[in-house]
Amino acid sequence: MELNFILNGKPLTLTEVDEETTLLQLLRDRLGLTGAKRGCDTGVCGACSVLVDGRLAKSCRTPLAQVDGHEVTTIEGLRGPDGDLSALQTAFLEYGAVQCGFCTPGMVIAAEALLRRNPHPTRAEIRRGIAGNICRCTGYQQIVDAIEAAAAQRLAQEGEEDG
Amino acid sequence: MGNLRYVGHEEVRSVDGWARVTGEAKYVCDMTLPGMLYAKVLRSPLPHARILTLDLAPALALPGVVAAITQADFVEHGNFGWPVRDNYVLAYQKVRYQGEAIAVVAAETEAVAKAGVEAIRLELAALPVVGDMQAALDADAPRIPPATVETDGNLGETIILRYGDPEPLLAASPVVVETSYDLRHQEHAYLETEGALAIPEPDGGVTLFANNQSPFINRDIVASVLGLPPQQVRSIQPHIGGTFGGKDDVLYECSAQVAKLALLTGRPVRLIFTRAESMLASYKRQALRVQLQLGADEHGNLQAAQVEMLADSGAYASMTPMAAWRATMHAAGAYRYQAVHVDTQVIYTNNGYSGAFRGFGNTQAAAAVEMAIDELAERLHRDPLEFRLQNCLRQGDRTMTGNLVEHEVGLAACLEWVRERSEWERQRARYASQPADAPRRHGIGVACYFHGCGLGGEGTDFAVSTLKIERDYSITLTSGLTDFGQGSRTVFTMLAAEELGVEMSRIQMLRPDTRTAIDSGPTVASRASIVGGNAVRVTAAKLGQRLRLAAADLCACAPAQLVRAGEQYVGPHAEPHSFEEVVDHARALGLQLAAEGRWEIPAVEWNLETGTGKPNFAYVFGAQVAEVEFNPRTGWTKVTGLWAAHDGGVILYPQGARGQLYGGIAQGVGYALMEGYLFKDGVPQRTDLRSYRVPRAIDLPEIEGTFIETRLNEGPYGAKNLAEPVMVGTAPAIANALFQATGVRVQQLPIPRQPRA
Ligand code: FES
Ligand code: FES
Repeated sequence: MELNFILNGKPLTLTEVDEETTLLQLLRDRLGLTGAKRGCDTGVCGACSVLVDGRLAKSCRTPLAQVDGHEVTTIEGLRGPDGDLSALQTAFLEYGAVQCGFCTPGMVIAAEALLRRNPHPTRAEIRRGIAGNICRCTGYQQIVDAIEAAAAQRLAQEGEEDG
Repeated sequence: MGNLRYVGHEEVRSVDGWARVTGEAKYVCDMTLPGMLYAKVLRSPLPHARILTLDLAPALALPGVVAAITQADFVEHGNFGWPVRDNYVLAYQKVRYQGEAIAVVAAETEAVAKAGVEAIRLELAALPVVGDMQAALDADAPRIPPATVETDGNLGETIILRYGDPEPLLAASPVVVETSYDLRHQEHAYLETEGALAIPEPDGGVTLFANNQSPFINRDIVASVLGLPPQQVRSIQPHIGGTFGGKDDVLYECSAQVAKLALLTGRPVRLIFTRAESMLASYKRQALRVQLQLGADEHGNLQAAQVEMLADSGAYASMTPMAAWRATMHAAGAYRYQAVHVDTQVIYTNNGYSGAFRGFGNTQAAAAVEMAIDELAERLHRDPLEFRLQNCLRQGDRTMTGNLVEHEVGLAACLEWVRERSEWERQRARYASQPADAPRRHGIGVACYFHGCGLGGEGTDFAVSTLKIERDYSITLTSGLTDFGQGSRTVFTMLAAEELGVEMSRIQMLRPDTRTAIDSGPTVASRASIVGGNAVRVTAAKLGQRLRLAAADLCACAPAQLVRAGEQYVGPHAEPHSFEEVVDHARALGLQLAAEGRWEIPAVEWNLETGTGKPNFAYVFGAQVAEVEFNPRTGWTKVTGLWAAHDGGVILYPQGARGQLYGGIAQGVGYALMEGYLFKDGVPQRTDLRSYRVPRAIDLPEIEGTFIETRLNEGPYGAKNLAEPVMVGTAPAIANALFQATGVRVQQLPIPRQPRA
């Protein structure tokens, strides 16, 4: 099949795409975008998380048909135009939310989806927001700290821009 | 620590964070090379069987399959094992656990490799399965280990501890608790599955990128089964997605397999486990069965302990003998006794195989004894926390192995901290008076622990580090101990910068590579900070001394008169000199700007025959309180509060230390309530992350933790260790809390979910 979609802000047309491939396979194996990880390949761990039209999706369970004509954002697409880290990424570093890092791309994406949906989540809401993502290293607490801090910072920034 | 620039500072950040948070960090599964082949493994469908037929021809006949291997492709059938040589990189004659690797196929694509594996003709003759440790010891039980290994049937090893004579003391104790525990297997479930990439080299050797924990041991094993000198095998560690003790033996197998295929085909070969494969074929935390007798006098002073343990090693020894040794050395907990005897048997079964996992035997041992101590306190009508405070180790006491603790001990302070922060007395009293028919029952419980630093009597404990000042004035650092997410790279970088008085950004720590670093033994037992840290410090001190000489010469003063201002060297008379000027001058003087340093843990000795000696040179301590909510109708337990205090000496990297604390506790919650890798007649019951549940963010409460700082003179800047022991107190604290909630004692981990309405 032919596939048309927007990947990290850039329109992309791919030909000779096997319909059976998942979005994760396409990203990692064909496009060389290895930020999204394969932790289980069965939709349980969230390491492969991406945004499809701004909503959280597990790319290992996303058939390409669901991507055709849509917009996909991966961890590689979260940084600013000059390569700056996003507020969420900075907060992950600042709050020690990264240990082995294998869950991190998926976790940052899940947090991004959450903050787009709910810009001012409570800690309990943050925990629910990342409940689809397993982290075996951190015990989640510093991840929750980071997301909480990034939310506050995003709100403050928007406030400034509006003001 | 006012004059330290990095050590103990809140602002220090992970040196690997940036690459990981951007998704740019390359793990082995992210690495591809032109012409690379994909490997897939044929695994045993049976837990115990003889191999009758193994025919690769149908696989090799498939278009796209390039090579396939069996044990016959390795020296001595690929026999390996560290410390016991009872394993094979591919099954030889027999399979001893379900999931054991039998053959490997390399093909142009993953799909073809898979088809190749399916095409292999394999015929097995099932053998009787030994799924129970007691049954394994029966005289007529089928023998599991290969005949080449010296064992008494399926009894691999017996480990004893003899301190005094507990029998008369127990007989004279007015209160004796006698109890037993069944602690099940636990899966590491690191988020990144096992993987290795092998690249053939023009000299006939091979370079490996593998997510293993101990690259030097991997190099030596791969070289020996390939019949190559160790220098021709180079093992490089890329970013690693978690290990927790779990990426040793299974990685040696998989590294040897891809290395062989790379040599046969002349092409790079990569093997990445699927999650199901990882859960099936990797080793676990060993199951332990523990029988305990504890006695106390009428004043509540602990008198003696007698412990018997069976450790389920599974099909191969791996590190189970060492973990069982550690369990033995900690079996009666962090208390004062007059006498303790422990007898531990390490047993072969067909229950997968077991090895190293965070806590290394102490996770199980501490769980058992802390549940028993709680029961003893109850029988004495004593508050469990108060009872622990009365009996816990303090500086100058003797441990349960009879050794004097000369260094500072923060255990009582840890207990007091968790008591205060959890509002222990108030909550305890409140839950004691809750109505018996409440729809939700609450409880609060405590546990404490100690944990010997370093390998102890488990092996020679040293590390080597190197430092080199490059032409661009950056400094290259290597260590033979590795980082797999626990933060040693950050700690080592910080220690080098601290000792040399330079910016952390000047130091580039190379990825662990057997060609550039120097062998330092295995990275286990949370020894990286103390042993590896000291090695870095010693090395940096050597290099720093040379720079000081050069600086003194430049500043026309004695080295002792120099002070530092930032990176600058300042003498009493002349202008300050920059780091770069001092380096240039040192070079001009012909001083060597590279250094190597080694550090070894103070000698300890354990006599395996008599069961006496000194198992560890120092200990860390800690205490945890857990609060639970139990739903009698569903049997569901939720942890609603956790307080943790850990005495890890001086904390070098606070943010990283907190991460270890929270992460360890999370694994402890899993161990207590949800994980349990269960076998039924040797067949694993949960080989995916849906049925084997690990804690998610919603399964954990907000954790309140702290570090009680004591000083260990031998540690770098007074530090001890923490990555492993922090998980040790969690499961028993939860079990003891659940007792207050339900009135029923826990005898099994994970705690079976039982409705009680
Ligand atoms: S890899 Fe997609 S959810 Fe685990
Ligand atoms: S940091 Fe290792 S899995 Fe999250």
